[in-house]
Amino acid sequence: MAEKLYIEALREGLREEMIRDENVFIIGEDVGLYGGAFGVTKGLFEEFGENRIIDTPISEAAIAGAAVGAALCGMRPVAEIMFFDFFTIAMDQLVNQGAKNRYMFGGKAKVPMVIRGPMGCGTGAAAQHSQSFPSVLAHFPGLKLVMPATPYDVKGLIKSAIRDDNPVVFAEHKLLYWTKGEVPEGDYTVPIGKADVKRQGKDITIVAGSIMVPRSLEAAQKLEEEGIDVEVMDIRSLKPLDLQTVVSSVKKTGRVLIVEDDPISYGWGAEVAAGIVGSEAFDYLDAPVKRLAGLDIPIPYNPNLEKHAVPQVPNIIDAVKEVLR
Amino acid sequence: MATIVKMPKLGTTMTEGTIVKWLKNEGDPVEKGEIYVEIQTDKVNIEDEAEASGILRKIIVKEGETVKVGEPIAIIAEADEELPDLEVVEDVADGKQEESASVLTQEEDKIAEAIEAVPGKIKASPAAKRVAREKQIDLSDVTPSGPGGRIVERDVLAYIQEHKVRATPVAKKIAIKEQIDLGSLQKAPGERITKEDLEERLIEQEIVDTIPVTGMRKIIADSMAYSKQVAPHIYLSLEVDMSKVIDLRERLIPLVQSHRDVKLSYNHILIKAVATALKLNPLINSSFTEEKIILKQNINIGLAVALEDGLIVPVIKDADKKGLAVIAKETQELIQKAKTKKLLPDDYQGGTFTITNLGMFDIENFCAIINQPETAILAVGKIIKKPVVVDDEITIRPMMNLTLSCDHRAIDGAVGAKFLQNLKQILEEPMNMLL
Repeated sequence: MAEKLYIEALREGLREEMIRDENVFIIGEDVGLYGGAFGVTKGLFEEFGENRIIDTPISEAAIAGAAVGAALCGMRPVAEIMFFDFFTIAMDQLVNQGAKNRYMFGGKAKVPMVIRGPMGCGTGAAAQHSQSFPSVLAHFPGLKLVMPATPYDVKGLIKSAIRDDNPVVFAEHKLLYWTKGEVPEGDYTVPIGKADVKRQGKDITIVAGSIMVPRSLEAAQKLEEEGIDVEVMDIRSLKPLDLQTVVSSVKKTGRVLIVEDDPISYGWGAEVAAGIVGSEAFDYLDAPVKRLAGLDIPIPYNPNLEKHAVPQVPNIIDAVKEVLR
Repeated sequence: MATIVKMPKLGTTMTEGTIVKWLKNEGDPVEKGEIYVEIQTDKVNIEDEAEASGILRKIIVKEGETVKVGEPIAIIAEADEELPDLEVVEDVADGKQEESASVLTQEEDKIAEAIEAVPGKIKASPAAKRVAREKQIDLSDVTPSGPGGRIVERDVLAYIQEHKVRATPVAKKIAIKEQIDLGSLQKAPGERITKEDLEERLIEQEIVDTIPVTGMRKIIADSMAYSKQVAPHIYLSLEVDMSKVIDLRERLIPLVQSHRDVKLSYNHILIKAVATALKLNPLINSSFTEEKIILKQNINIGLAVALEDGLIVPVIKDADKKGLAVIAKETQELIQKAKTKKLLPDDYQGGTFTITNLGMFDIENFCAIINQPETAILAVGKIIKKPVVVDDEITIRPMMNLTLSCDHRAIDGAVGAKFLQNLKQILEEPMNMLL
């Protein structure tokens, strides 16, 4: 199987879906000739033309609104938000329209749209271009939210997201774009709403999402040298949330560390923690559920401070040891 | 060696303690572990145990005085031992004490934290609690190793490992079946619990109290077992209409009362009736030996009398020759003697036939064991009013069940039946007793 970059796998998924279904189109800022701010759509303009790769003015509200409208009319738009931070501008269209329409029309209307964008810090882009807040969007009924962590998952999930008849928020992480992994040629999907055990282990379960998955895997590798056997679970979808897979893992290990890229307050890790404590896994817990997440601060510009704002591999290692005390 | 007793640390927050009361005086011997002083902490009064055995040679801190934790409060030593110079000891001990105290304090803190965090609550992870529940382990027995004195799963597993009992497969099976905790069976280390250990335990578990099998109990045990071993019992039953006996008794009660100052009972009438029937059936009034059946000339009727701790059978001699008043009087006297344990051997020996009556316990019928070397015994039930058919009419009659146990070696069914039939006839027409 060929090794590909995350960004290539994502592009491949988009391209294959556009070939498969002529209703699929891409809309966003600089997604056309420029190929997107991070280069996700590079080459697609040349292949599919300006009618299916649509550049827009700088208005996320317009992008989201156009996508919701097109989806209601039977198209399958994939809207790109240049930075996840700008989802805030798209919120009204996305949350008050996109998320509601299918319910409010009694299921007669569908909103088969994807709205995607890169989140996260680590690039020195400062507070307004570094945020991760998938938990915010996962809060709204009517939206689905996935945040693939590997090249394999990003291709499979973008296909599932495009084929889904509901609005799906597709949260990428900037630092994942240039990570490598095996990606099969051709068509396959990864189901929305399924967590994935990325590494089997028996001593502790790390539940991680997005960029924290490769970081947790790296931590697990280092901990293995110390004889600590870590299971790493990629939560993969925040909505729907696959608690059952988490619960099964916790029943096996009895200890949990949840690692998030979001600021800790009201983050999805709290949802997972509550789910574990309220499930049959409770009787198997041998230590308090621990969360490791971003600090409750705007992401600093200073690169040293920026590093400390979200969990890094050594933090994960320390946290695992603390839970295993 | 002399032991300098210091103010103990009896709680996490305790820094000093007050001697409330010395329960021993200077010069009194104390045993290690014996409660000998009452100490007041900042919270409660605690009785403390002696940490060494010996004589309480010196009380350093008097009642009502307060000292810091770790300061000497008393000296326990041998009677003739020279006491250490406290000043010097204190100086030397101080440094050492600091160290050991801090280690101790840490340990104690850990345990105290575990126990005192919430009164009555043991800090344990849900997993530890689950395993403890499944394996029926009391968490208060488990030593915590988790942060903050928390019992975690590994602690419970370690406890189980430590207290793992080795048992043979059969023993394990029995333990499961009988719900015996193998851990409760003490065995030398490395020794396996066997089937025998469990059987012993089972027997122990069933015991509420023990009664020695001696004296009367031994005699009853031996003779009953012997009778059932040697004598093949056959049982014959019939019902007797007691109307006329009841009528007779009503009429005789005042007469007997005035004659012999005793209240005539059904047993008295039964004795007379049985004696009369025996006269007609001499084979029933017999004893059996391997060589011969001995037919007895005298008709001596034994009456089984229940005692608090057994039973005895006093004998009414020559019952066939005695009138009801005499029988009543003698019987009453014998029963009185039996109950006060004043029977003489002559009072309970020489019986030729036995009557046993459990009617007073509402027993309707039962089968008795023959009182060897006799060859038969009559079991008498309660008189109960029953609907019976008389002359093709249903009518209510006071009926009584009689069951004769016969030793088939001597008495065949028909012979026993004949006797029982005669007895029935006598009871249903008591005038037969006069013939």
